[in-house]
Amino acid sequence: MTLLAATTGPADAVRTADTPAPTRLRRIVTALLRDRLALLGVVLVGALLVLAVFGPWLAPFPDQGRGVADVAHRNLAPGTGGHLLGTDPLGRDVLSRIIIGARPALLTPLLTVALAVAVGVPLGLLAGYRGGRLDEVVMRIADMFLAFPPLLLAMVIAAMLGPSLMHAGIALAIAWWPWYTRLARGLAAGLRDRPFVDGARALGLSDPVILARHLLPNAAAPIVVQASIDIGTVILASGSLAFLGLAAQAPTPDWGLMVSDGRSYVLSQWWLSALPGTAIFLAVLAFNVLGDALRDILDPRAVTR
Amino acid sequence: MGRFLFRRAAAAAAVLLGTTVVTFVLARVVPADPALAYLGPKARPEQIAQIHHQLGLDRSLPVQYAHYLGGLVRGDWGISIGTKQPVASELFGRLPATLELLAAAMTIALVLGIALGVIAAVRQQRLVDHVIRMLAIGGVSMPAFWLGLLLQVTVFGQLGLFALTGRNDPDLEFTDPIRDITGFHLLDALLTGNAAGFTDTLTHLVLPALTLAAYPIGVIARMTRASMIEVLAADHIRAARAYGLRERMTVGRIALRGALPPVVTVAGLTLAYSLTGAFFVEVVFNWPGLGQFASTALLNADYPAIMGVTVLGAAAYILVNLAVDIVQARLDPRVRLA
Repeated sequence: MTLLAATTGPADAVRTADTPAPTRLRRIVTALLRDRLALLGVVLVGALLVLAVFGPWLAPFPDQGRGVADVAHRNLAPGTGGHLLGTDPLGRDVLSRIIIGARPALLTPLLTVALAVAVGVPLGLLAGYRGGRLDEVVMRIADMFLAFPPLLLAMVIAAMLGPSLMHAGIALAIAWWPWYTRLARGLAAGLRDRPFVDGARALGLSDPVILARHLLPNAAAPIVVQASIDIGTVILASGSLAFLGLAAQAPTPDWGLMVSDGRSYVLSQWWLSALPGTAIFLAVLAFNVLGDALRDILDPRAVTR
Repeated sequence: MGRFLFRRAAAAAAVLLGTTVVTFVLARVVPADPALAYLGPKARPEQIAQIHHQLGLDRSLPVQYAHYLGGLVRGDWGISIGTKQPVASELFGRLPATLELLAAAMTIALVLGIALGVIAAVRQQRLVDHVIRMLAIGGVSMPAFWLGLLLQVTVFGQLGLFALTGRNDPDLEFTDPIRDITGFHLLDALLTGNAAGFTDTLTHLVLPALTLAAYPIGVIARMTRASMIEVLAADHIRAARAYGLRERMTVGRIALRGALPPVVTVAGLTLAYSLTGAFFVEVVFNWPGLGQFASTALLNADYPAIMGVTVLGAAAYILVNLAVDIVQARLDPRVRLA
């Protein structure tokens, strides 16, 4: 533990002995709240999480949100008949569909990034730590995937597996894991010859223990930053797949699918496409702002402001 | 420089070969039988066997791969199931439309992105800077298909400006047809002195190009701002100011030159990104390019077309990245010596 404590990052080193040490988490939270733009990101992400968790109870017409038609109230403009954001050609409340759609819109990218991290990071750490043949093989395979534009690769895999939300998630994870492998590999290769790793090896610790207990904590900050920015990117990517018809299928309340469905009515009923699209935009914006702020806080070298 | 070029080009070629392996494997692990896609569900077993033989599916995988690779090199990219036309001619026939859209978008993005970035850097921490930073992060967060629809609703629907969809008015074919020279309609109309064709192309190009430009504008503005702030704090800028050089000269000529290399790099990377972004813009604006063909192919499980699009997309992506590396090496000797 002492080996680990000695290496938790440059910010801790400048702390003077007599001031009480704020925890790393508290330092991050205070910094986030100080920056107004970051605060906006925190608020937006919080609001999204609330919608994703409590959506079915918050939506004014939960059944319509899930896809039940109400033909008596078709094509209502926003604000009429108790429908704040209007209704679609099947009479379904647009606001309810957006609220109910928050859960899959958020959960799919979160699981996708988690899967990409879970596969990519251990592989990258191992490749960077061991070096040699293993490193060569892992990185050449990763390079083959990195050679494709990630969204194109995800689209192609989703199309080949057959359009569904599950397949879209798998396709996105396949497109995103090598980015984490490359990132983790670079970090591990930089840490491999540091004294505390030598020390751990000299103590006779096994490779998995060294990777998990000594390399991972020191490589965590850049990986967390990358993941938080990627959640925004993957929300955008999965919305794009849905827009093309390669993810969730009707009548699922999916933001990308709603934009696509509303396209035929764009000049007469703009709200059908524009509003679910706004939801995607705000969700992506929230994670981008948050990821940016986290990078500034966790990586003092980055020049962004 | 020569050795560096050779090394990078060889690596790019190896990676390109790798992408053909991935594409081939992807197409072979799918459960659907391509013969059924050609013949439909009522095919008889002997017909299926015949198609399998024609497509070489009855041979071993390495032989199939060699066959596929040979076809790629010879320009035989298979027949599209959807259009029943050779995939290569479908793709390369639509390429100019996509390239024209990309070129227009990147021109807008470079001009606006660099200008916004410089203004933000000079007015650091003032209101203009905050507004530009918000715009930039908004630009990179926008789904292109959403921005496109918004522009259609507001600029075309409300203001009646520009065109809703397509690359040219259908009537233009009869009144002032654009003669095909480069495949870029704007350029061809200009070269042949076709004023009506030029205006028509321009009105159709503006909205999709703006839509596609949003993301690169954001990225380029952010990078220009960060790079300019760093350069403006450097000693040679202080020296220039101390000599009493006019501020426009100091910022616009001396500082900007030093700040450009990282901007060039991200511009190249966003160009590679926009290759895929163009797909969505083309769908929204009914633009007759690669993306429209690709999205139809993806939805209809048109495997030969999908494989073609994938290989072409990867090749373009690798080429752009190679170009970025080379430009970077020219601008910064440390890169080529590493």
